[in-house]
Amino acid sequence: MFRVRSLTKLYGEGPTQVRALAGVDLDLYAGEFVVLLGPSGSGKTTLLNQLGGLDIPTTGEISYRDTDLTHADESALTRYRRNSVGFIFQFYNLIPSLTARENVGLITEIARDPLPPEQALAMVGLSARLDHFPAQLSGGEQQRVAIARAIAKRPEVLLCDEPTGALDVRTGIVVLEALERVNRELGTLTIVITHNAVMADMADRVIHFSDGRVLSEHRNATRVAPSTLRW
Amino acid sequence: MLAHLDRKLLRDLRRLKGQAAAVSLVMACGLAMLIMARSLIYSLESTRAEYYQTNHFADIGASLKRAPNYVSERIRSLPGVATVQTNLAVPITLDLLGRTEPASGLVRSLPDVGAPELNRLFLRRGRWLSPNSRGEILVSEAFAQANNLNPGDTLTALLNGRRQAFRIAGIVLSPEYIFESRPGAALPDARTFGIFWMPYKEVATAWDLYGAFNRVALTLAPGAHAQAVIADLDRLLRPYGGLGAMGREDHPSHIRITDEIRVLTILSIGFPVIFLGVAAFMTNAVLSRLLSLQREQIAILKAFGFTNYQIVIHYLKFAFVMVATGVLGGVIGGIGLGHQLVDMYQLFYRFPDLHFRLDPIAVGIALTVGLSAVTLGVLGAVRKAVQLPPAEAMRPEPPAHFRPAFIERIGLATFLSHSFRIALRNLERRPTQALFTITGLALATALMIMPNTFKAGISEVLDFQWDVVQRQDLNLVLVEPSSARLAHELAQLPGVMSLEPARNSAVRVHFQGRSRQIGLRSLLPGGRHSRAIDSAGHEIYAPPHGVILSAKLADVLGAKIGDTIMLEALEGRQPISPMPIVALAEDFTGIAAYMDLQAINRFLGEGDVITGASIGLDSAQRANFLAALKEIPRVSSVAIKETMRQSFRETTATSMGLLQSIYLTFAVIVAFGVIYNNARISLAERARELATLRVIGMTQREVGAILVVELAILSVLAVPLGLILGTSLTTLIVGSVNTETIRLPLVFTLYTYTYAIVVVLIASTLSALFVLRKLKQLDLIATLKAPE
Repeated sequence: MFRVRSLTKLYGEGPTQVRALAGVDLDLYAGEFVVLLGPSGSGKTTLLNQLGGLDIPTTGEISYRDTDLTHADESALTRYRRNSVGFIFQFYNLIPSLTARENVGLITEIARDPLPPEQALAMVGLSARLDHFPAQLSGGEQQRVAIARAIAKRPEVLLCDEPTGALDVRTGIVVLEALERVNRELGTLTIVITHNAVMADMADRVIHFSDGRVLSEHRNATRVAPSTLRW
Repeated sequence: MLAHLDRKLLRDLRRLKGQAAAVSLVMACGLAMLIMARSLIYSLESTRAEYYQTNHFADIGASLKRAPNYVSERIRSLPGVATVQTNLAVPITLDLLGRTEPASGLVRSLPDVGAPELNRLFLRRGRWLSPNSRGEILVSEAFAQANNLNPGDTLTALLNGRRQAFRIAGIVLSPEYIFESRPGAALPDARTFGIFWMPYKEVATAWDLYGAFNRVALTLAPGAHAQAVIADLDRLLRPYGGLGAMGREDHPSHIRITDEIRVLTILSIGFPVIFLGVAAFMTNAVLSRLLSLQREQIAILKAFGFTNYQIVIHYLKFAFVMVATGVLGGVIGGIGLGHQLVDMYQLFYRFPDLHFRLDPIAVGIALTVGLSAVTLGVLGAVRKAVQLPPAEAMRPEPPAHFRPAFIERIGLATFLSHSFRIALRNLERRPTQALFTITGLALATALMIMPNTFKAGISEVLDFQWDVVQRQDLNLVLVEPSSARLAHELAQLPGVMSLEPARNSAVRVHFQGRSRQIGLRSLLPGGRHSRAIDSAGHEIYAPPHGVILSAKLADVLGAKIGDTIMLEALEGRQPISPMPIVALAEDFTGIAAYMDLQAINRFLGEGDVITGASIGLDSAQRANFLAALKEIPRVSSVAIKETMRQSFRETTATSMGLLQSIYLTFAVIVAFGVIYNNARISLAERARELATLRVIGMTQREVGAILVVELAILSVLAVPLGLILGTSLTTLIVGSVNTETIRLPLVFTLYTYTYAIVVVLIASTLSALFVLRKLKQLDLIATLKAPE
């Protein structure tokens, strides 16, 4: 689904130049659950930005199905994000003035073939909290609303940046279960960035990242249920 | 320790320069206005006081028919009188080269030798009259300028019917004529009316007044009571045809400047206060936004051991930089505008040396007021931040509490889009901030109502004066009351289409211990020229018995329709007679009384007498008419409506326009400042939220809609409020321009309101466009990072 070749990304100029990506080659396939592991500063988030159409690479190429994301213009990138990508952020980024249902509804208003907000929220186990505002929800619940918001448009790819980073173990697991379920039931390519190696066990494929390049990758024979994970 | 904090201050300022500049600009507008108005008051008052003192301006003056010179000794011996100066004042008609219309004026006599004791002249150009000179004349500066006259030029005049040529010795100014206008006229007309000075001997000889005087000026001894002296003087001069003495407060030129100062005083208080109020609102908005973003920084500073005091001072410094910039801008702007207005005042008020004088107290007031305005704005915001325990402040702010907006709770939710809901709930969650913005916007809208209403009022006064009340083309005034037969003679002049005789007289009205000296004007039964109009706009017909008063005069006297006033004539046999008030006339300039022409003659105990006439003229014959008129010696002055209108347009209208455009410009700046600032703040406060929406696939337009809807809701709420506020404010301010010289009618036009709405719309649209442009630069990647 994604084809990434010799991808580099440089920030800044001259002596202060930072090389965030130093030639990444990667293929990602439909329906996969991929965990991207690596220490801080290894370039994981930069890669995610490129995959999500938030940023364009310095050199190399990146394409999504038949779309060349390297040379897409602003409106093409917006269209891509709007129709194909679901984002999940470490800090949820819900709209505080909208309820859970409305936060999801915001997306279903603009998507081509959305899930009803209620159904999306049911998938993450929040049927009872539809009309609560973010301030009335726990961190885990807020992150699950964010997942519901991301999947409501039936995206083909779900990009998650440290989705459990701000949560305790118990709530983190509930969130991971929601992600796993979405991946299983909707067949969404799910890419999770984390520096928590434990989460590797629930993935189809684990990619280790270091110094802006892929260090190694391996495929798990079986996916472990999130409920058995502990960290 | 603080040096680094100061560096942070500078960087914060640089980041928020747009908003800080908007606050400073609004403040500068208010302060410029304050400094301009207070300094003008100071300039006018101090210049006038010095002028009066240097040139010995009289405390009391009186006109009379004629009194022998020895009467001046009796005046001098009245209790409370210090200095006495007698002289002559006679009308003069001028024949100016190359001009068809006649100019007229007043000739004042100067002692044959030496300077007068009182009301001394100031020589602008040329020289004084040489002793025992003949055929020399001094000309008032306003008239000389308007007619391009210079020392050495020759002036042809009709003196008591005899044509004579005079050489202009010098151009002069007089403290009696700082404001120079035809007696009774509200507007200056320097082209056709001037004041001249000649030696006593020459004036007296030409008018057969040798050994007599008809004007007297005096100063009061220390501790003397002006009213008592006036009463004594009136009694003394009565046998000599005294027309009533008056103190400085009734002196026409003095009144004009006092009224001008009064209007400036009103403007220097009301308007700047609103500007500074807006500035305070804006400071509060900018500061609370800065503080909410710097929550954690404040906590860290506190954790490191900075005291609350140091932190408060740090943020106050931020505000003070805005104040300092604002005050500096205000002082520079105030001085600049003040200079321009002083130049304008020189058109109307003739001082030897009217310079702009910066009122140091005004700068002090400006600084104090500016500081208090922002300090108030800052304290509320800073207090909240300082009260926060450091540990709590260091955690990111929890998501704000929201609830469905009011119109959703009442069941209108289905009609609302998500962007509309976000906007509505945001406004409802922060009602104080929304209220501040609405207030600021409403005030900005309100400010735009006054200047245009002021302008419409002036134009209404003129239309009323020249199209409704005085429908004739010109007014003639005779040298002295003459037989009504003269009217027939005048009616035969070429081009006269209609002529109505007039009998005007100086009178004093008394009612329950109050009195005023005014002009009594005649109305003609079935007359088509001069009319009296009531408050409903209907013509009032003068009955055979009874008097019509200016509504303002009735107000001053405390009289109403049906009351009986005492009418005291100040000429002829000076009869006194009770007279019922039959109607009140709505007039805007000066105060007067109106009676039927025959009734005036009966009251004065005269036969069929007129003092002037109004004429409707065939414009094609105008030149012929004016040429023929020059040959009629009994005409002392001619006031041509078109000429007055023209001269008004060139002077008063231009300068009123200047004042009006200054105010309007300031109001527009404030409108832009408030709206721009508000848009910037909501953009900055919600950058993360908006970036998230962009990341999850909303277009710039969709995200922009949220901000634009919010701005639109605020404008829709604020503008009607502003229009109402502006109307009341204008009613208050323009309503205060209610002097005996001029009363401005409140004319609220569709144009005025449309103007205000359109400016707010344009400001909103430009701010919205700006915000939309900024949305492009939104940092999408930042949404993935932890909140700052």
